[in-house]
Amino acid sequence: MNTLRLYCRSMAMLIKSQLQYPLSFLMQTLAQLVMEGGELLAVILLIDRFDRVNQWGPGDLYFFFGLMSVSFYLTEIFGRGLTGNFPSMVRNGQLDTLMLRPRGILTQVLCSGADPRRIACIAVGTVSLIMGSRISAIAWSPLKVLMMAESIFFSFWLILGLFMVEAILTIHSVKSIELANTLTYGGRSACEYPSDIYPRPLRILFTVVAPFALVMHVPASIILDKPLFGWPVWTGFVTPLAGLVLFFIMYMLFRKALKFYRSTGS
Amino acid sequence: MSYIFVDHLCKSFVVRKKREKGVLLREKETVHALQDVSFEIERGELVGYIGPNGAGKSTTVKILSGILVPDSGTVRVGGRTPWENRKEHVSHIGVVFGQRTQLWWDVPLLDSYSLLKDIYRVPEEKYRKRLDELTEALQLGDLLRTPLRLLSLGQRMRAELCGSLLHSPELLYLDEPTIGLDAVSKLALRDFLRWENAEKGTTILLTTHDMEDIVALCSRVMVLGHGSKLYDGGLQELLTQYDTTKTVQVEEHQNIDQVIASMYKNLGL
Repeated sequence: MNTLRLYCRSMAMLIKSQLQYPLSFLMQTLAQLVMEGGELLAVILLIDRFDRVNQWGPGDLYFFFGLMSVSFYLTEIFGRGLTGNFPSMVRNGQLDTLMLRPRGILTQVLCSGADPRRIACIAVGTVSLIMGSRISAIAWSPLKVLMMAESIFFSFWLILGLFMVEAILTIHSVKSIELANTLTYGGRSACEYPSDIYPRPLRILFTVVAPFALVMHVPASIILDKPLFGWPVWTGFVTPLAGLVLFFIMYMLFRKALKFYRSTGS
Repeated sequence: MSYIFVDHLCKSFVVRKKREKGVLLREKETVHALQDVSFEIERGELVGYIGPNGAGKSTTVKILSGILVPDSGTVRVGGRTPWENRKEHVSHIGVVFGQRTQLWWDVPLLDSYSLLKDIYRVPEEKYRKRLDELTEALQLGDLLRTPLRLLSLGQRMRAELCGSLLHSPELLYLDEPTIGLDAVSKLALRDFLRWENAEKGTTILLTTHDMEDIVALCSRVMVLGHGSKLYDGGLQELLTQYDTTKTVQVEEHQNIDQVIASMYKNLGL
């Protein structure tokens, strides 16, 4: 409880800091809107050309895109400390300061950054979800709403876990941002589309290594009444847990990596 | 047992060199940052810790504060082994790095302090009392509503000190606290440290290159060079031992830095 309170207070302070430069904040938010809007436009143009990919109609594809967009940028809003600040914290020794405080390192890292500008991207994602729902004429039920909420919730942990790969490699003084980005940003771009359109190796990658397929595509396909692999409805509630499993594994590796941390000179 | 007890402390780092032409694997070199260092410090002491750059001072401080784990040796601070239970240990100590900030850049000091209060779980009433006390001693009253980025270096250092003492630590490590400060700020800072040490009984370990700091504050000095402890004792004795001009009183030394330099030379550093 105390940790949650600390987190909320840190967030309030970060937003206060960012609003010290209101014009810059506004411009950057607008820029995000244009960027993510462009992505959606690209998807619309693509779908317009093909009309149908496997069994997925245009509405289905908008729905998948929206789900990824909302989940991914939700993680970027709250995980900014990990994605943006952490590598430089390790390199310039600012991590020492965190280790000198009686709180968990990951808690403090997450408290140290937020990126509220991404709210613009989430808006675009929401528009895409609504478009998808309308065009595919999804018959919403409380169960489906719950399933979508669960999918987004566990996607958050999945993507946060993937962002931790970079943090872990940074501590081991490996500069391998490209490798880590394959999983995070590559995963985002690829899994905007349902994974069954990809060849087998990629399907395995996005099911076992970075389980976007389990966390997003299985429940989304059930919501769309076109279940992947013909799986029953209840699987849509179970498979997203893979996201939490991945996060937990990464968290353990992160703790192990911190033991290896050797600080920098001063 | 003494408050700080360090026995046969060793720490080395492996540094990888750039690969030479024609050699398959990169050469590794082991740097011995600390070799068999032992010392004890009693509660309430104010000790100076000096040595040339790269002698291992910061490494010692980092081990004492639980950031680094040594290769071998025993360390007890207030009965605790620093790296074993980090969270418990760091709630009892305060650390100020002269070139690093632990406060938030864009918000008023008061907001930073209030967040630190939450981080260290300081009860509201205790926090109020301590903050009043520190703002008065450090003359921060007028600055509390100013963001950190608008403060001068001297003001910032005072603000940092206040931040690291809010949870009333038993032990304070200072890593080059007077670096880059003007004469007035330095004097004010020294006065404050003397006050904190005498009034609150806070044990202080001070790392510095400014010999004036040591002369003004510390009766005991430890000298570290190439990872080994070279001297531990009174400042007066140290100076008489290595002073080439044979001046007797500390205050009369024309240039303490020269004495220290000649000492480092004598010790083969």
